[in-house]
Amino acid sequence: MTDPTLIRNFSIIAHIDHGKSTLADRVLQLTHTVADRDMVEQVLDSMDIERERGITIKAQAVRVMYDADDGRTYQLNLIDTPGHVDFTYEVSRSLAACEGVILVVDAAQGVEAQTVANALMAMNANLEIIPLINKIDLPAADPERVRHEIEEGLAIPADEAVLASGKTGEGVRDALEAVVRLVPHPVGDPGAPLKALIFDSYFDTYRGVVALIRVMDGSIAKGMKVRIMATDTVTDVEEVGVRRPANIPVDSLGVGEVGYLITGLKDPSLVKVGDTVTLAHHGTTTPLPGYREVKPMVYTGLYPIDGDQYPDLRDALERLTLNDPALIWDPESSHALGFGFRVGFLGLLHMEVVKERLEREFNLDLLATAPSVEYHAYLMNGSMEIVRSPQDMPDPGYLDRIEEPYLLTTVLVPPEYVGAVMELADQRRATFKDMQYLSATTVDLHYEMPLSELIMDFFDQLKSRTKGYASLDYEYIGYRQSNLVKLDILLAGKPVDALSFIVHRDKAYARGKVLTEKLRGIIPRQMFEVPIQAAIGSKVISRETVRAKRKDVIAKCYGGDITRKRKLLEKQKEGKKRMKSVGSVEVPQEAFMAILKVDE
Amino acid sequence: MSRLSLPLVSRPVERTALPAHLYVHVPLCSSKCAYCDFCSVPDDGAISHADLVTSTVFAAVGWQRFGMEPAPLQSLYVGGGTPSVLGGYLRMLLTGIVRVYPLAPGAEVTVEANPESLDARLVCDLVAAGVTRVSLGVQSLDDGTLSWLGRAHDAERAIEAMLLVAASGLDLSVDLMCGLPRVPESRWRATLRSVVECGATHVSVYPLSVEDGTPLASRVRSGRAALPDDDIAAEEMIVAAEELSALGLARYETANHALPGKESRHNTAYWTGRPYLGIGAGAHGMLTGEQARLAGLLGEDKAARTARVRYAYGSDRLLLDGACEVEVLETLDAAEALREDAMLGLRLSAGIPFELAERSGVVPALEALEADGLVERAGGRWRTTERGWLLGNEVFGRVLDADGTPPASPGGFDARSARVLSSSGTRQA
Repeated sequence: MTDPTLIRNFSIIAHIDHGKSTLADRVLQLTHTVADRDMVEQVLDSMDIERERGITIKAQAVRVMYDADDGRTYQLNLIDTPGHVDFTYEVSRSLAACEGVILVVDAAQGVEAQTVANALMAMNANLEIIPLINKIDLPAADPERVRHEIEEGLAIPADEAVLASGKTGEGVRDALEAVVRLVPHPVGDPGAPLKALIFDSYFDTYRGVVALIRVMDGSIAKGMKVRIMATDTVTDVEEVGVRRPANIPVDSLGVGEVGYLITGLKDPSLVKVGDTVTLAHHGTTTPLPGYREVKPMVYTGLYPIDGDQYPDLRDALERLTLNDPALIWDPESSHALGFGFRVGFLGLLHMEVVKERLEREFNLDLLATAPSVEYHAYLMNGSMEIVRSPQDMPDPGYLDRIEEPYLLTTVLVPPEYVGAVMELADQRRATFKDMQYLSATTVDLHYEMPLSELIMDFFDQLKSRTKGYASLDYEYIGYRQSNLVKLDILLAGKPVDALSFIVHRDKAYARGKVLTEKLRGIIPRQMFEVPIQAAIGSKVISRETVRAKRKDVIAKCYGGDITRKRKLLEKQKEGKKRMKSVGSVEVPQEAFMAILKVDE
Repeated sequence: MSRLSLPLVSRPVERTALPAHLYVHVPLCSSKCAYCDFCSVPDDGAISHADLVTSTVFAAVGWQRFGMEPAPLQSLYVGGGTPSVLGGYLRMLLTGIVRVYPLAPGAEVTVEANPESLDARLVCDLVAAGVTRVSLGVQSLDDGTLSWLGRAHDAERAIEAMLLVAASGLDLSVDLMCGLPRVPESRWRATLRSVVECGATHVSVYPLSVEDGTPLASRVRSGRAALPDDDIAAEEMIVAAEELSALGLARYETANHALPGKESRHNTAYWTGRPYLGIGAGAHGMLTGEQARLAGLLGEDKAARTARVRYAYGSDRLLLDGACEVEVLETLDAAEALREDAMLGLRLSAGIPFELAERSGVVPALEALEADGLVERAGGRWRTTERGWLLGNEVFGRVLDADGTPPASPGGFDARSARVLSSSGTRQA
């Protein structure tokens, strides 16, 4: 156990792409935690997808030993947090394990939406904030402007901001000196009963669930009997250790220390982020504050394109859930798509990452239906039904009202794009709250808007209308009543369940029209005419027709053509396999995604 | 000193014969058309005509070194490319080939020609060399359309060439394209009537198709060329069948119309599953399993399980001794070959007898197609309906796929897929 006055627990927070992970890599190198020759770009982002996308999905904790200018050696625990709004809760728990943060701001990009969101979170957690202006080696770097933005926009004093470059390593030592000097050392009661915060966990095939913990009071050692409070689980401590970044077992972890805990538990749902670990006997009665159940916000139907892969998809989801308890799923079936699962995600990025991992790591071909949010449908009889899929929508005759989740969104954008953002927000049923200038080059806009509008390619639209300058952050602010209807799409007179969606009544007509037009372009001509209709209940609001195919023949069929023709027919057959037969109509996969990208 | 004499060879009585149909590819064109993805190179002197004739004849000789007898040819087809660019050498080529592969009495000998390279002198040569039929690439009788297609001739030249062939007594077959931009129906009908009036006894009508890698494809992709809707091509194919049949040329295959007795016998061999030898850079051929085994294209085991083998010559020019890479493209077992017979048979207006449909196991597929109105039964045969002609891929795809097992993948069986056939009969890897 280390003297708490020689411990510093801190996190690096930043907007995506501002160089957080590269900076963390430099810290590992500078402290000789990782030998230069073992240095893989972004050591802490260990998942392939994380490394490729340059994002952090899981929290990480690594202990480094730092010889400071004052001649003493400090134990620094660097807790790398997920860098995306989908994982806000995880970030807040990681921050709860720290006393300070390094707030990284790109010297060219300046303050962006997640910079603000992260800084606010750190302030709310009463953490010491050390501003660091990164990438000062870039030709476009403008540290003076960025310093000004930090002071004006975030009200954080920045005259002593560290100037650094993760790329060259310049300023990294200054940053660590600032951590030692400015971040308070942990304070706790070594004599009190154990109180440790679980700030992340992962599943190891051999060891079971591995929890990352920060000890607040008391200490934890191998062989102890401990209780995980919220899930009321009593278990033995099989092993505790520290991550450097490989797991190194230690005898015990004391006040202020960060490390891992292995209990032999195999069920990840018993070891939840934010929960408190205490002694099984005479433990504390007051858990650490801030624990909550994580709830998925976005739902989509995932279907194997090849129906035979349904059991494989189930196995894959089970395996992913071990490492990602936030993922929830239930079997569902669709007339159009067969058997699949309704899967709940923390947000859009989470959804994309999970889908990509399912396809890549488990070799599945998946079709995802339009994402949906969780609607609350109140019936005339006073009861409430949860609607996660358009198919679950109760009959309008029984419906009293529907509520949908709302967000407070923050958009940071240069002033010249404010008009474009306002126009987009207007189309997305957003209500303007306020606007302020963070600096001469950055405007901070606040809107309240339905989550369902955000998941309809809002971010893509925002980026394209602001030439990529806008940054976005949001938080959930609860459910609000909306005038929503279920819009059905009918092909050849039959409703296709997988194409239905829930939409605001005022926008139903426009969206139905755009979608039927779009489907007309996507659905290939068939042997018979295919009417495409959009309908609310029995009322058809728009109609398009795919004309019957009249000619589909390769006229030339001589010697060499016969082989070519066979190949072509086989290719056509393959193409047909990629399509879903809905009744007698062959529907390409893009059709099911068309609902996502609808510009009015 | 003794006189050189031919050794007396005692021949086995039942030797496997080579195919009775021969295709010779001349991979030269005066210029490349905008839509063409065939194996051809510009006739710019890089390949001398004499060398081309020599190497082709040597390649033809090479096939006889595998212990197979030449069968008297029922049909010989010299295609391209544009064989007519060879001028006087074309006669040499024909003479050489026929020396090696004697013609059966009444054999059909077709040469492809383009209007710009066909003159009276060439026609005389063709008659002298025993040619019976000329297939002329007219494509259109509209000057604007012809230049849009990148053709080297104009309408006037095309008419002269047609009249010249017809006057010589040779059978005249004309290729026309439909589905071209901006052709009013009246003009299309007039074109069809003109070619018959100029003496065509056989007319092929193809919709223009945009093939990858052609100048036309890049023009279409960049938006510089617009293609008419498939519906227009369909309409024009219907009009062609109507107009030509009124002139006595009945549709006998998806895209081919002829006066009775003037149907192409060579092409009919393709459509009825007869083996044929293909020779020349880029040429395709089709052999029985046994023929392919003797030629060294298939191993013994594979050959025993194979009914039909398709091969292709590489697209590089032949070596002077006729040697060239030959690749097996696909092998079909007996069941697959039967299904293919059924598929190809349905491209013919005669259709297929019930017996073939049953043997090939495609009856359920045909019944489903019948329900969709694409095929019908008449006189003990299944045949394609008017609607079925235009939706041929639906018909052929479902027939080929009748039992769901895909044909063997080309080249997947052993290392013999690439061979070098040379006139000396030695095969180098």
